[in-house]
Amino acid sequence: MEMLLMGAVLAMFGLAVSCLAFGAATREEPAPKQEAVKPVAVTARFFVDPPAVPVAAALNRVPIEALLLQIENHVRLEQAAAECFLESPNPTLLHSRTISSLVN
Amino acid sequence: MIDADLLKGLPPAEAESVLALGKRTLLTTGAELFHLGDAADSIYLIARGRLRLTLPMQVRSREEDIMVEERSSGQTVGWSALIPPYRFTLTAVAPLETEVIALSRDALNTYLAAHPGTGYAVSLNLASVIGQRLQLFQAMWLREVQRMVELRCA
Repeated sequence: MEMLLMGAVLAMFGLAVSCLAFGAATREEPAPKQEAVKPVAVTARFFVDPPAVPVAAALNRVPIEALLLQIENHVRLEQAAAECFLESPNPTLLHSRTISSLVN
Repeated sequence: MIDADLLKGLPPAEAESVLALGKRTLLTTGAELFHLGDAADSIYLIARGRLRLTLPMQVRSREEDIMVEERSSGQTVGWSALIPPYRFTLTAVAPLETEVIALSRDALNTYLAAHPGTGYAVSLNLASVIGQRLQLFQAMWLREVQRMVELRCA
């Protein structure tokens, strides 16, 4: 009788352990919290990213003779663009992009 | 005879008569034909060569003459001589040896008053020269404004 009870208790214990193990195996893992996207501070990479130099600052480094030539070239290009517009007036030609180094 | 924009459409003999009113002037390289603000008594037809029309501009605290237009053989410069207040609004310089025919306002007015047909044709040609320049500079001005707007809104 005692042996029978002992066997029953052990069986119940084994069943309980099996249930716990099954429950643990089939439990849904909670979705991991998505980390908020943090803005990454981009560090300047010397020799890789050229520093953004404003046009005005760049022009200040140009010798005045070269600057005057750039201005004259700009005027010629703008006149040519305006003449193209007058030959065939339309908004696209009026606002065509210039290759002038004075403004690019 | 030069193929002048101011004399377009005139019979050759009539165009010759108008040209005969003028005085030929030779400009050496770098010579100034007229200066901004000067009294404008003559209009000029370019017989050969080229003229640079400039306006003063401050560049690095220095006043520089900036070319705003260039005129060549057959074209007219100095129409301020025919329009009040008869002052040049630009400076004209010859970048190379250039020959011009100077037509004085008085001589031209007297001749055209006596020849109304010629006067009408010359007036139309003058209106065309001025109108083309106006349209050209309107377009150039608008392009600059557009760039300014893009810079401000960037």
